[in-house]
Amino acid sequence: MSFLLPKLSSKKEVDQAIKSVAEKVLVLRFGRDSDAVCLQLDDILAKTAHDLSKMAVIYLVDVNKVPVYTQYFDISYIPSTVFFFNGQHMKVDYGSPDHTKFVGSFKTKQDFIDLIEVIYRGAMRGKLIVRSPIDPKNIPKYDLLYQGI
Amino acid sequence: REAARFWRENRAEAALRERCVVPPEEYERFVRALEAALAEHERRNEERIRQMAADIREAERRQRDTVRAALQVEPELCAGPSVCSPPAGPERDSCYGAEQPGPSGIQTGPDLAWMEPGQALTFIGHQETEGKGNVHTGAKPPWLTEEEDETKQQIGPSYEEFLKQKEKQKLKKLPAGRVGANFDHTSQTSSSWLPSFGRVWNHGRRWQSRHQFRTESGEKKQK
Repeated sequence: MSFLLPKLSSKKEVDQAIKSVAEKVLVLRFGRDSDAVCLQLDDILAKTAHDLSKMAVIYLVDVNKVPVYTQYFDISYIPSTVFFFNGQHMKVDYGSPDHTKFVGSFKTKQDFIDLIEVIYRGAMRGKLIVRSPIDPKNIPKYDLLYQGI
Repeated sequence: REAARFWRENRAEAALRERCVVPPEEYERFVRALEAALAEHERRNEERIRQMAADIREAERRQRDTVRAALQVEPELCAGPSVCSPPAGPERDSCYGAEQPGPSGIQTGPDLAWMEPGQALTFIGHQETEGKGNVHTGAKPPWLTEEEDETKQQIGPSYEEFLKQKEKQKLKKLPAGRVGANFDHTSQTSSSWLPSFGRVWNHGRRWQSRHQFRTESGEKKQK
């Protein structure tokens, strides 16, 4: 279902998206359109995009096309979803080791909707890190490997 | 008929009526003559006023010239007061008649000197308005005479500006403490701009992660 969501294919476009989205949560999904879990996630994103249109803007980014951001955001698993608000990165504590992005897909559409709502409310209050409302059981597990510099 | 009724009502003598009723032609002639006389009278008045204005202007010019001549004469006063003041005196007499009765020679010199430097105002000339008139003659003000060349210029903000103003007011309603409230959405950034991102393997502030990323990529490039 990835053809329903707008895509960004260069660093310049990603920069433009980060700078221009105002007063709404910017959702950047990093992954590959052909990956199985990505397809699942994209499905949920596409189905909720309309309902969340007042709070969030969703874009898909191919990790092969923007290597600089793939490294800058430390993306080692796909799909990884990064959240921004007014050009500022929003961190979320999901109960997983990495707070800077959401790794994997969501179990239900409602989980994603709840998460966006919490991020939006936190941002309106000026919080740069919020706690995820999703049940930790539904969060995908992964190992965060430390890559030596 | 009206006249007859009037006569009967007021019980005046019938003979008088013949004499009082003015025939219409006579009346027309009277009206025309009246208009002509009025126009003539007004023209004569305007002429007289214009002549007076010209006279006053002439008098002012002569006064100014005399003042200037007197000031040029001033430096020479110390050398020969008796020689200079008589030529200056009679001239001034003729022009200043009403203002300075009996000018006391040298004493009025410094007075004129005070006037000349005080004349620091720029003189832009008499405004000759032969046909149009001005505020004193009660002419129509220029902002009311703009009948031709009325291209429909809208005064005030246009429609797009109005919409933008509404957007700005909506923004003001948002909480001021929200994340990135002072973020400049329209700033031009270079191609090497990176957003403020707290990276995974960094301790410390977010800008440090950006700094560290740049150092890392610098090292990698050098390798």
